[in-house]
Amino acid sequence: MRWILSSFFVLLPALAADAPALLTQKCAKCHGAGALLSDLDVTTRAGLLKGGKHGPAIVPGDSAKSRLYQLVSEGKMPPGGRLDAAELAAIRSWIDAGATMADSSASKAKRSWWAFETPRKTPGFETIDAFLLAKLKEKGLTYNPKADHRTLIRRLYFDLTGLPPNPEDYNQSYEAAVDKLLASPQYGERWGRHWLDVVRFGETDGGEHNFERFNAWPYRDWVIQSINADKPYTDFIREQLAGDILFPQDPKKVAATGFLVAGPWDSVSAVLNKDEALREQARYDELDDMVTTTAHSFLAMTVNCARCHDHKFDPIPTRDYYRMTAFFNAVGFGEREVGTDEARAAREAYLKPLRKQMDGIKARLGDIDDPVRARLLLAKMKAFDQQRAAEPRRIPVNPVFNRNAFQAITAKQFRFVVTGNNGKAAPKLAYVELLPAGKRIDNWTGTAAASADQRQVLTIDLDTPAAVSEIRFASDPVRGSATGSVTVYRLEADGKEVASSMDHVNRNEVDVPSVADEEVVAQLSADIRSKRDAVLAEIRAVQQQMNQAPSVSVLYAAKPRDPEKSYLLERGNVRRKTEELTPGILSAVGGDLPATATSAERRLALANWIADKRNPLTARVMVNRIWQGHFGTGIVGTPSDFGINGDRPSHPELLDHLAIGFMENGWSMKWLHRQIVMTDAYRQTSAMNAKAHAVDAGNRLLWHMPMKRMDAEMLRDSMLAVTGNLSLQGGGPSYLLQKKGGGGSYIYAALNNDGPEVWRRAVYRFVVRGGERIMMDSFDCPDPSVATPQRAVSNTPVQALTMMNHEFVIKQAGLLAKRLESGAATGDARVQRAYALLFGREATASEVARANRFLSKQSLTALCRALFNSNEFLYVP
Amino acid sequence: MCRKTLRKPTRRELLWEIGGGLAGLALAQMEAKAAPKGTHHTPKAEHLIMISLPGGISHIDTFDYKPELARNHGKETQGANTIKPFFGKRGTVMKSPWEFKQYGQSGQWVSDMLPHLAKRVDDITFLHGMVSRSNAHGPAIFQMSTGFIFQGFPSVGSWISYGLGPGNENLPSFVVLPDARGLPPCGVANWGNGFLPAAHQGVIFGEEKTPIADLRPPASISEAEQAATYDLLTELNEEHLKQNPGEDALVARIKAYQLAARMQVTAPEVTSIAGETEATKASYGLNDPVTRPFGYNCLLARRLVEKGVRCVQLFNGGHFGAPRVNWDAHEDLVANHSKNARVLDQPVAALLADLKQRGLLSKTLVVFTTEFGRLPISEGLGEGGRDHNPEGYTSFMVGAGLKPGIAFGSTDELGYKAERPITVYDLHATLLHLMGIDHTRLTFYHNGLNRRLTDVHGHVIREILA
Repeated sequence: MRWILSSFFVLLPALAADAPALLTQKCAKCHGAGALLSDLDVTTRAGLLKGGKHGPAIVPGDSAKSRLYQLVSEGKMPPGGRLDAAELAAIRSWIDAGATMADSSASKAKRSWWAFETPRKTPGFETIDAFLLAKLKEKGLTYNPKADHRTLIRRLYFDLTGLPPNPEDYNQSYEAAVDKLLASPQYGERWGRHWLDVVRFGETDGGEHNFERFNAWPYRDWVIQSINADKPYTDFIREQLAGDILFPQDPKKVAATGFLVAGPWDSVSAVLNKDEALREQARYDELDDMVTTTAHSFLAMTVNCARCHDHKFDPIPTRDYYRMTAFFNAVGFGEREVGTDEARAAREAYLKPLRKQMDGIKARLGDIDDPVRARLLLAKMKAFDQQRAAEPRRIPVNPVFNRNAFQAITAKQFRFVVTGNNGKAAPKLAYVELLPAGKRIDNWTGTAAASADQRQVLTIDLDTPAAVSEIRFASDPVRGSATGSVTVYRLEADGKEVASSMDHVNRNEVDVPSVADEEVVAQLSADIRSKRDAVLAEIRAVQQQMNQAPSVSVLYAAKPRDPEKSYLLERGNVRRKTEELTPGILSAVGGDLPATATSAERRLALANWIADKRNPLTARVMVNRIWQGHFGTGIVGTPSDFGINGDRPSHPELLDHLAIGFMENGWSMKWLHRQIVMTDAYRQTSAMNAKAHAVDAGNRLLWHMPMKRMDAEMLRDSMLAVTGNLSLQGGGPSYLLQKKGGGGSYIYAALNNDGPEVWRRAVYRFVVRGGERIMMDSFDCPDPSVATPQRAVSNTPVQALTMMNHEFVIKQAGLLAKRLESGAATGDARVQRAYALLFGREATASEVARANRFLSKQSLTALCRALFNSNEFLYVP
Repeated sequence: MCRKTLRKPTRRELLWEIGGGLAGLALAQMEAKAAPKGTHHTPKAEHLIMISLPGGISHIDTFDYKPELARNHGKETQGANTIKPFFGKRGTVMKSPWEFKQYGQSGQWVSDMLPHLAKRVDDITFLHGMVSRSNAHGPAIFQMSTGFIFQGFPSVGSWISYGLGPGNENLPSFVVLPDARGLPPCGVANWGNGFLPAAHQGVIFGEEKTPIADLRPPASISEAEQAATYDLLTELNEEHLKQNPGEDALVARIKAYQLAARMQVTAPEVTSIAGETEATKASYGLNDPVTRPFGYNCLLARRLVEKGVRCVQLFNGGHFGAPRVNWDAHEDLVANHSKNARVLDQPVAALLADLKQRGLLSKTLVVFTTEFGRLPISEGLGEGGRDHNPEGYTSFMVGAGLKPGIAFGSTDELGYKAERPITVYDLHATLLHLMGIDHTRLTFYHNGLNRRLTDVHGHVIREILA
């Protein structure tokens, strides 16, 4: 059994047909280079002949006498699960045939592996169908009959655009539809979405703080526009890896490097953390993310496995991994401005005087507001303090009023020690009072001195010892400014601590009083009020001028940073740097990398190496992704892993044929789509065939066209489309379905904001990492924290509940009912219209009768809801 | 190669319900593929209750008694013990503001912050000297919930659902009960299915009447309309299946609607606590507004496990931001932990007692864990908070297969560094082991690797197994 997408589970991938690879995959983890358990090494013939503690593992030519075969056939090895019959047969026949093995010091040198071989043409085979039919014939199978026109049009619309055809679209020829759809903007929206899955594109950081990336959408638009423009795939690669180097002043091309930073970014670990080693670790994690995505997306190589040790299965040494990280040593996460130097200078020149002006006006507003606000705040704080008088803990330390009572103590010297204050300014203290039993002591002298560690100490010497039971102080009771205000203090009496900021409640734990603008205004005389209004008008005017500053684009894309040195880390540990490295490409694939000077040139060189015709992986990988998009499963079932642990191609010669054709036809994706949708394979029916199913349950040979359940975006878009509410407005900032909470929260709440403003295609939604659940989550719409080269198709009760009861579905059902009512007068006609819109066919007489029976008791909306839930709607034939 | 499955054989009747024939065959095939991976050895526990504390509860103020803190109060740490706080603020050793005493026959130390839990120590297996791979909340909470410090990996509950399958088909196999004060930091990523199929996603149970999102239609839709719509849909789908015989996905989707219909009945039955005695309700603290929300969640956890749910993950504490609603006591340890302990203590103790009394501890494992511990020094000179400590903290387990009333592992005399580090991988390996799963053999292929909950790490903590 090979790679099968079943309705509930994605099964584990196929096992190697060839025995040595099987041994590597199944046994080498314990009996290979890393850990020679029982002293056995299964990765070389010599190792197998020598065997382990219990003697030789194999006897070439005699599987029955081979200890290895005995153990695996009895199921004693491997411990992870018994090998299946095909695998056992492969090992048996390999041993019986002499157990030959190319000596594979697996990870050390380039070795023969299908994906590293240059693609070859197969003489005598010109068409896709010729390859597929030949394999089917070997098994005594062939294609299903050709599907009817309606089915084909429906299939084509969903595959190429992700949207259902309108009823009148069935009236065109298949060929005309292919031309029309490939030229439509909706094509790039559908296939762009797939690419965004591959590169794990998200519009929030993820992690603890999970900040928004409001300027990440230009990358999404670049993807869609590039695909619509049929940009040669080589340019598609180059711009994503090095658009900022090739076209530094073109915002669209710089946006393409959003690819490098599309993934999650932990700003807390990268910036806030004061532990340097952990911060450096976070940087290596960033680099890992870039290397991993580059290698997965373009090369289908799991290079990241070599971060801590040489790749266990593929010929990728750790050194290769760290040389790849060096390509990205000048790329950081964040926003950047893009524009010419002149444009930037002009913007700066324009804004500078305005900013100064604004500061001045705001200071004048402060002159009016601050004293009033401070006075109101003082009153509130005192009231607050009184209200909490019974509480053991004092109100939070604040700028205007603080009181701290304690057991009376008699002393001659008191010290008020400030160890923390707001902002970078020196601590401010407007007054300090000591109270014995409510009476103020006036006759004291104070000296404030900053000690070596910059603590501010106010020393208070009394003339004669006195009993003190309370301290009051304020930093700025006049204007209430927090800058410089005391936050951490202690009071000592003759060297003994008697009170401290620990006696106060934390600001976060109570609702601290504040003063709103309206309260301030209410206190002002009419005269001052009009003066204040004038100042506000000035602020608005200047703000308006600032808004008109000459713009430069702000993008979330590869952000330049100082290049850092790259090291080889032992076991991925930042504390174990062994050797400084320069950038390098995968040694197993080979190729030249020009010796260049700057980080930028190096990254461009990497892009060129990947986009080179001689790279055996690049074309194959993309061809396979597009194939998967049409047939549900790729020729290689693991689209981002062409290594030994991945799937083997079901039709290696066909994959090569298409890869060569792809390159020869200008790396045109539209060319490839056209080749695929014009085949007989694509145009057969999806009917089940028991005989073929028995031979090839996974349909790897394509004896039928698989039925496909709509993915989450298709489902949402299609419902909007059939109700007539889908807006086809493309591009621009994303619309929100989830929004970050206020008050310092980092949680994205689902908005439930259904309405025309969010009725654009789902590819334009603001993609949140770890947001609260939305409807699409039930339909396997992935959280973009990890790459999703292939979506799961699951089928759960929760999904059924969503589809039956979610407000979106119910609302759209109502809107569909309205559309039906306005377009057709009679019940029969409405049912017919519904079937035409949803299923692209006429309803039969009995279907109409059934619907009418239902409508005699239930509403048209209820009928629409049932139709939305039906398998015929959700499954593309 | 024992592949014992824990599911009950309800398949046959289901098979007939949808008409048998080719459809039935397809279903049988599909189910063979969808069968849970099964156990590798006889399990000690069939259900898991995870109690997760966002923010990081202080081990040295709760379960890991350190008299040296009092002796060194106010001193600076030096040499190898110089402490690197997350926020970088220097502080001095701070004694615990709580009193420690020994409890029960086992004589384990607990502080008077948690008087109710102190009474349960004879059932508890403490793990001192846990270590986290990060001192930052995001990565640490991801590791607590998913084993990895990065976002996007399947959660512990998802792995268990994937490994063991549902214990009751009419309920989700993995239920999540967030704190009433809000979702935990990093939200739904804590119970995401990652690359596992969506069937293994954690499902939030909310209010008593509509515990699951979309469980019922809006009030505008009558019962009669709902039933009629459902019947019509069934007809439509069965007819469609007749025209596309043998398509197992179509069969599966029909079945999913049947399960959904049953879930609509079963889920509110579980969440309604009307049948619980007053004594039980009182024991969980349901009569006290402070303990009621979390107490209800603890009671619900027991009810869910009784009904067969595989994994229930409870959060005690919400997300970050102001005001603080989790255990992240940077500013004021006393205020923060006192307040949170009031919410936590009685309900968890009641849950442990209730499980034991009903005999459920013989098949249920309770795991209590947090992001990391807190430092033995104050956060800033003269201040009253403690910063993050990933180098040593305490988790505990309760349930069958464990030595009860013991403490395994330790931290140094100040409670700073683990002396015998227990990793989160070890904790996860051990809980899987108790559930009959070999953590090295529960795998799922994703992008080039057979992924595990424990990555390439983890050892079962044999010393605590009975």
